Amino acid sequence: MKILGCFKVVPDLDLIVEEDWNIENHLHIDTGYAKLIWNCFDEGALEMMLRLSDLSEGLNVVYKLSALTIGRQKTESFLKTLYALGFSEGARICVEEEEEILFSPEMISEGIANYVKKIEGQDVILTGIQSSDGNNKMTPYLLAEKFGWPCITQVIGLEPIDEEQLKVTSQVSGGCIVRKVKTPCVLATGNAPCSYLRIPTLKAKMKLGKRPVTRLMPEDMGMSETAESVRVTALNPINRKRNTVVIEADSPQEKARCLYEKYLKERLSEL
Amino acid sequence: MAIISREQIVEGLEEILGKEQVITDEQVLKESSLDRYRKYEQVCEVYTQPIPAAVVYVKSTQEVADVLSFANENEINVVPRTGHSAIEGGLETALKDSIVIDGSTMNKVIKVDEYNMQVTCQCGVPLQELDDMLRERGYTTGHSPQSKPLAQIGGLVATRSIGQFSTLYGGIEDMIVGMEAVFPNGKVCRIKNVPRRAAGPDIRHIICGNEGAICFITEVTLKLFKWQPQNNRYIGYKLDDEYMKLGFDCLREVMVEGYKPSFARLYDAADAQQHFSAWLEEGKAILIWMAEGPANITPAIEEGIKGLMSKHPELEEVDPALIEKWYGGLNWGPEQIAEEKEEILATRNIGITTEVSGSWDNIYEIYKTACDRILEEVPDMTLMGGHSSHSYINGTNMYFVYYYNVVDCAPEEEINKYHDRINQIICEQVIKYGGSIVHHHGLGKARAKYVTQEYGSSYYMLKTLKQAFDPNGIMNMGTLIPLRK
Ligand SMILES: Cc1cc2nc3c(=O)[nH]c(=O)nc-3n(C[C@H](O)[C@H](O)[C@H](O)COP(=O)(O)OP(=O)(O)OC[C@H]3O[C@@H](n4cnc5c(N)ncnc54)[C@H](O)[C@@H]3O)c2cc1C
Repeated sequence: MKILGCFKVVPDLDLIVEEDWNIENHLHIDTGYAKLIWNCFDEGALEMMLRLSDLSEGLNVVYKLSALTIGRQKTESFLKTLYALGFSEGARICVEEEEEILFSPEMISEGIANYVKKIEGQDVILTGIQSSDGNNKMTPYLLAEKFGWPCITQVIGLEPIDEEQLKVTSQVSGGCIVRKVKTPCVLATGNAPCSYLRIPTLKAKMKLGKRPVTRLMPEDMGMSETAESVRVTALNPINRKRNTVVIEADSPQEKARCLYEKYLKERLSEL
Repeated sequence: MAIISREQIVEGLEEILGKEQVITDEQVLKESSLDRYRKYEQVCEVYTQPIPAAVVYVKSTQEVADVLSFANENEINVVPRTGHSAIEGGLETALKDSIVIDGSTMNKVIKVDEYNMQVTCQCGVPLQELDDMLRERGYTTGHSPQSKPLAQIGGLVATRSIGQFSTLYGGIEDMIVGMEAVFPNGKVCRIKNVPRRAAGPDIRHIICGNEGAICFITEVTLKLFKWQPQNNRYIGYKLDDEYMKLGFDCLREVMVEGYKPSFARLYDAADAQQHFSAWLEEGKAILIWMAEGPANITPAIEEGIKGLMSKHPELEEVDPALIEKWYGGLNWGPEQIAEEKEEILATRNIGITTEVSGSWDNIYEIYKTACDRILEEVPDMTLMGGHSSHSYINGTNMYFVYYYNVVDCAPEEEINKYHDRINQIICEQVIKYGGSIVHHHGLGKARAKYVTQEYGSSYYMLKTLKQAFDPNGIMNMGTLIPLRK
């Protein structure tokens, strides 16, 4: 079974200095200095693929794992990491100005769909539910629509069945559903139980990580013709600051009493 | 060890301090039996060290003196603690029924003396809070270790810590003025605050760096400096990793020519990718400096460094804004520690650091041969690299950074299979080439086993100090001087 993991490399937004969030009349946040990391949902999806492959050991099913990213040259080291972890195919659609696709899930899904149609056919496409910078939350749905494949979101587990089917666990409000899913399909991970990807050893990197990445041009993947359905006209930071009061008192008991009397008692009586 | 029972120890402590200040909660005791040296055991919540009898929170110098006298009379091992960010096993309770004396409740800033440019505070003052408060007034201690959001004054002095701006301000040993400390027999000693004196040996250095193995530090006076970040200048160059030797020479050149930048750093390519992956090509090392100080000095330092570096065609200048913004996200607080724990548990991949120093003529060999040997001899390595971050006229430090996967190994075996083995290789290479095995984290218990090699004939002085001040052997046993098997 051929599974494609689609991932995005994003800046670590925790490292953005406060003044850079002050967006005054411009549509750009400078993240160029922040270290690059896997988009968290995609990282969980890639680890899920590896775990599925681990589970298939000794079974009569072989998973061919591929990975695709759309982004600048710097993202290739991430594809090489995946090679070192056992992915057999790694491709990049070369978009050097990532800002241009930040809010364009249409372009992204078009690029992925054309990769699957023209370059490497797949049985399953796995994505994260959204990226931490674009936050569009649309790519898996658009992909499923393009192919006419079923789409399951909030996937938290994959288990092997056979070459045509997967056991897919997904979260729904109040519980989990476990389904046997016939491929082809699109799956999207949400809060995966393991959101961290395993780390390859330096020896594995030396041995497997040197293979070249397949580079594709956006125009060949139909991305340039895709019309943007939305355009950014303004960005506003959300003020997450909260007012705080420090309760001063001599003992924890007194502090607790003050907290109760002044701030909780009235609210509790309203419950 | 202790000549009274665990129950009697707790009773005795409760008599001195009252029940509220004596903690015997099982989980607290377990977590107080170790530090980040056993990071893997810590995150897996597996505790292999003797569990202390109690953790006590002290509120005054007198309470410290009373607890120490009690421990001394009853031969109970005590482990002083403040911020709990130690890295080298200094907080491990190596002996049965130890008492952990936590000074974080002695957290008052006693005096900010702007005229004499010094600040006096108790041992439990968190450095971040102190420096934030000072900066609001236009001052700084100049001390900025990466653990600034975690560490407190007592621990910072006890470990001879160093901050990122050390090339200008020095290590903590250059910042301390006077101090107050309590010795195991309960004797309280105060060293007065004067700019300098030549009245015999500098006894501050019996206290500074004692790692809780000689005395308990209760109060410290530190120097103040003007804080003028608006004048800061950043300078950066990238170079191929194969030119690391040149990188060290560039650091040297700046020092030798007499410039005093506030930080001076050289990252090898492996380590650089952990920080600058957004814009730095793989395989590139990086050199960075920051100039700090009065407005007419920082541009001169910048110009001077650039002039020196322009003679090296192997270097390519980088946008200083990238360095400046990167620097803002360097420190580690409780959130990073919590995130790291989750990551280690999920991936079984762990990152550790070991810091050493060397002269200009041996630091490259130390760096290169230690990295090569580790890669050759230790399994499951996922990253091996490092950086130099503190330079002097006669040499620099090397901060090894290494990650490995913990494979087929119970948490309690990890330390032997990986961490100690790597530490040993680094220490062996440092000793072979003539550097120091500890640059700023302290010997702790992890590296105490190499103390005689580190000190050579001067070990006599360290041992005599320990015996003289702690004749009953109650102060953080196993730290600085290894326990006899
Ligand atoms: C993420 C991270 C980054 C770090 N970066 C740096 C860095 O940049 N530079 C640096 O120098 N260190 C660094 N460290 C190491 C550590 O933060 C320092 O050693 C610091 O000085 C410890 O201070 P603390 O208050 O946490 O002490 P603790 O961890 O509580 O104790 C450290 C040692 O000092 C002794 N001690 C503590 N308080 C007293 C006291 N009142 N009297 C006598 N002995 C005492 C303890 O017994 C122990 O041996 C880092 C640590 C971490 C976790």
